[in-house]
Amino acid sequence: MLRRSVLAGIAASAVSSRAMAQADEWKRVEEAGRKEGKLVIYTASIGSPFLKATCDSFEKKYGITIERFEARASEVRERVRVEQAAGRFLGDIHHNGSTTTWLMQRDGNFQPRGDIPNVKNIVAPHAADDIKIPCEVISYCLMVNRTMVKPADEPKSWKDILDPKWTGKILSDDYRALGGGAVFFVVMQNTFGRDFHEKLAAQKPVFSRDIANSERRVARGEYPLYLPFSLQNLNNLKGLPIKPIVPAEGRPFVRFDLAVLKNAQRPNAARLFMNHYLEPDTQLLYANAGYAPVIGGVVEKTLPEIRELLKTPALGTTLPDKQDEMLALAKEIYK
Amino acid sequence: MTVAVQLPIATPALPRGFWRWGRPLGMTLLVLILGFLSLYPMAMLLYGSLHSTPPGVAGEFNLNGYIGLLTTENARIFLDTIVLSFVKTILAVALAILLAWIVARTDTPGRGVLEVLITLPFFIPPILTATAWAMLGNAQVGTINLAWRWLTGSDGTLVNVYSWWGVVWHMMQYSTPFMFLFIVDAFRAMDPALEESSRMSGASRWQTFWRITFGLMLPVTTSAFILSFIRGIESFESPVFFGTPAGITVITTQIYDSITQRAQPDYQSATALSFAALALMFLLLLAQSRLLGGRSFATVTGKGYSPNVTRLGWMRWVTFGICVLFFLLTVALPVGQLLLSSFFRFFGFYEAEMFTFEHYKSVWENRAFWRAFGNTMLLGVLGATATMTLGGIVAYVTTRTKWRGRRLIDALAWLPWMMPGMVLGIGFLWGFATLPHGIPIYGTLLALLLAYVALGTPVAVRVTSAAYQQIATDIEECSRVHGANWWQTLGRILVALAWPAFAVGWVLIFFGIMRELSASILLYAPGTEVLSVVMLKMWVGGKPEEVSVIGLVMLVLVVMFRWVQLKVIKKRISTL
Repeated sequence: MLRRSVLAGIAASAVSSRAMAQADEWKRVEEAGRKEGKLVIYTASIGSPFLKATCDSFEKKYGITIERFEARASEVRERVRVEQAAGRFLGDIHHNGSTTTWLMQRDGNFQPRGDIPNVKNIVAPHAADDIKIPCEVISYCLMVNRTMVKPADEPKSWKDILDPKWTGKILSDDYRALGGGAVFFVVMQNTFGRDFHEKLAAQKPVFSRDIANSERRVARGEYPLYLPFSLQNLNNLKGLPIKPIVPAEGRPFVRFDLAVLKNAQRPNAARLFMNHYLEPDTQLLYANAGYAPVIGGVVEKTLPEIRELLKTPALGTTLPDKQDEMLALAKEIYK
Repeated sequence: MTVAVQLPIATPALPRGFWRWGRPLGMTLLVLILGFLSLYPMAMLLYGSLHSTPPGVAGEFNLNGYIGLLTTENARIFLDTIVLSFVKTILAVALAILLAWIVARTDTPGRGVLEVLITLPFFIPPILTATAWAMLGNAQVGTINLAWRWLTGSDGTLVNVYSWWGVVWHMMQYSTPFMFLFIVDAFRAMDPALEESSRMSGASRWQTFWRITFGLMLPVTTSAFILSFIRGIESFESPVFFGTPAGITVITTQIYDSITQRAQPDYQSATALSFAALALMFLLLLAQSRLLGGRSFATVTGKGYSPNVTRLGWMRWVTFGICVLFFLLTVALPVGQLLLSSFFRFFGFYEAEMFTFEHYKSVWENRAFWRAFGNTMLLGVLGATATMTLGGIVAYVTTRTKWRGRRLIDALAWLPWMMPGMVLGIGFLWGFATLPHGIPIYGTLLALLLAYVALGTPVAVRVTSAAYQQIATDIEECSRVHGANWWQTLGRILVALAWPAFAVGWVLIFFGIMRELSASILLYAPGTEVLSVVMLKMWVGGKPEEVSVIGLVMLVLVVMFRWVQLKVIKKRISTL
C-alpha cells in the first residue's frame, strides 16, 4: 500500500513537474514573443472580420502588433515561394486552406511549430502535426430563396437536387475550378459516385465564380437554389430572404490551417498566435459565425440557429493529392 | 484628295554638347530604364514559359508550355477571344469617333458637360458596373426585363447580360470612353480650314468627315484602336463575370484557371499562353506601323487657326440626343443603381426598413481604407507624373528624331501593354523579389510605383506620340529661327501644344493606377495597401455596398479632375 502510494506520489510529482516545466517553457515563449513585438501573417482569408477580430484580441492580450498580407490562396503560396527562394523571410505565420498548406508543407515552406499548449484540445476528425495546426473549418450546404421555395419543396438530401423540378434553376460555384465548387464535386463523387454528377450535369447548373454576387442573385430571385453555400456567409446575408439547408447526409467541409513559415523572424509570436487561435473564445467567435470549431466543447455554446447547423455530420473534404485528377473529371462531366 | 502636306521630319536643333555625350547617354539611360521596367519582368516570364518550374525551383528547360497550346480547344479560345475583342473594339471605336466629333467639332448644346459625363464609365471599377448590370440586365428579374414585361405584357426577355453580347456590351462601356479620351483632343486641335477647304471644293459633309476629319485622325484612331483591341484581349472582369455563366472561355480566363484554379499552379502554360497572345498583338502593331508608315498627319502648323465648330442646325439636337442616350445607358443606369444601393443594406433590396447610411459610415471609419487611399493618391500622383514624363520623352525620341535605337525604346515601352496584367504581375513579383537585397524595392511602395510606371508607359507613349504627330516641325523651326534655344522651343512649342494630350494621359494613368489590381495584389506588403486591394478585400468579404461607396467617391474625384482639366485645356487653347 505504502509502495503504491509512494509510486503514485512520484508519478504525480513527475507529471506536475513536467506540467510546471511546460508552463515555464510557455512563459518563456510568451516573453520572447512580446519582445519580438510584431507578427506578420500571410493569409488566404481575404477581408474576414473574424480573422481581424482574432488579431485584435491577440494584440490586446499580448501587446504584439499584427500585420496581415491577404491574397488568394495561390497568390499567397507563390509569394511565399518566391520570397523564400530569394532569401527573403518576411512572413512569420501562414493561414490558408488545408490543400494549399499540404502542398506548401511538401515543398518545405514551413518550419516545425514547437509545443503549443492548446493543441491538446483539438478533436477528431481534425489533428495537428509537427508543422501545422487546424484552426477553423468552412462548411458547405445548400441555400434556397425562401420566397421561391416552399418549405415542403426544400431539398432534404443532396440527391433531391437531381429532381427535374430544379432543371435550369441551380446557380452554382464552378466545380471545374478550385474553391467551394471543387470541394462539393469531390465530396459528392466520393459519396454518391459519378452517376450523381452525370445527373446533376443534366440539370444544367449555371456556373458563376463570383460567390458573393451569386448568393445575392439567389436572394434577389434570379435563381431559387445556390450551392455550395459557405455557412459563414450567412453573416453577410442576414435580413435577406434566404435559408441555408444542410442535407441529411451532412456538410462537405474544407479546413484552414496555421503553420510557421520557414526561417520566420518571429517564431515565438507565431506560436502564441497559434495557441490564441485555439482558445475557446476564439473558436467560439468563429463557430458563432458558422465555422465549425476544431476543439471540443464549443458547438454547445454557439447561438441556437448555428448550433443546429453545426451539429449535422461532416460529410467529407478534398484530398490534395487527387485534386487535379478531380478537376479534370469535373471538366469532363460538366462541359 | 491629299489630306496633309508631306513634312520632312527634321533632326531638332539641340545644344552642341548634347550631340556628343548627351544623346548616347540619354538613349542608354532610356534603354536601361525601359529595360528594367519591361524587359526584366518579361524575361522572368519567358524563363517561366520555357522552364518546367517557376524561378527558384529545380526543373528543366523544355517547350511543353508551348506544345501544350497546340490543341483544338486552345485554337477555339484564341479565335473566340479575337472575335470578341474585335467586335467590341469596332463598335466602340465607331461610337467614340462619333461622340468625339460631336463634342469637339460641332455646336451640340452642353458639349462641355457632355464631355465630362461621357468619360465617366471608364473610371468606375468594372466589378461595380458588372454588379449593376447584373441587376439591370439579368434574364430572370433584371430591372430592364421587368419593365419590358410590364410595358408590353410579354413574358419574354429583352436583354440578357449573361451572354456573348453581354460581355461585348460591358467591355464597350470601358472602351468607348477610353478611346473618346484619346481622340477628342486630337479632333479639337485640328485646323478646321482643312474641312472648310474640302467643303468648298465640293465634297459632301460625309465625304469631308471620312476623307478629311477621319483621315487626319488616323494615327490617333489606330493607336486607340490597337490599345483598346489589346486591352479587349486582356480583359478579365467582363468575360469572367458575364461569360463564364454562358460557357464563354477567353485567353484570360484560361490563364486565370492555370494560375489560380489548379492544385498546382501551372505557370509554364499560363506564361506560354501569354507569349502566344503577345505574338498576336505584335503582328497588330506591325500592321499599324505599315498603315501609318511614311505619311504625315500634321494638322497643327505654324499657320494660325481658330478652332471653330460645324454648325449642325436642327441636327444638333439629334447629336445631343445621342450623347445623352450614351450617358443614360452607360452612366445613369448603372451608377444610379449603385448610388441607390449604397443607401440600402443590400444591393437590389429597396425596402424602407433597409434604408441606411451605414455603408458610408463604415467606409468613413475604416482605417485601412484611409491608409490605402493615402497610398493610392501618393502613387497615383507620382506614378502618373513619372509615367507621363517617361512616355513624353520616349514619344519625342520615336516621333521627332531619327536617332539610332528609337525603335528599340518604342518596342520596350510597348511590351507591358501586350502582356495580360495578371501574368505581368507575376513577372514583377519574380523580378523584384530576386533583386539583390541591398536594392530596397521589394515590399515597398517603390515596387508598386515601378510596376505602375511600367504598366502606364504604353498609354503615355501613345497619347503623346499621337499629339506630337499632329504638330508640324515648321513651328519648332520657326521658334529656332526667332532665336529660341532648344529647351525654350521644347517647352514653349512642343510641350505647350501637346499639353492637352499630356493632361488626358495623366488622368488616364492616374485612374488606371487607382484601379490596378493584378500587380498590386502580388506586390503590396502590410502597410502599403492600395485602394484596389482594399476593395477586393471588401468585395470578397461580402461588402459590395461599401465597395460601391468607394466607387462613388472615385467618381466624384473623376468629375473634379475632369472639370479642372477641361477648364485649363480650354484656357490654354484659347490662348494659343
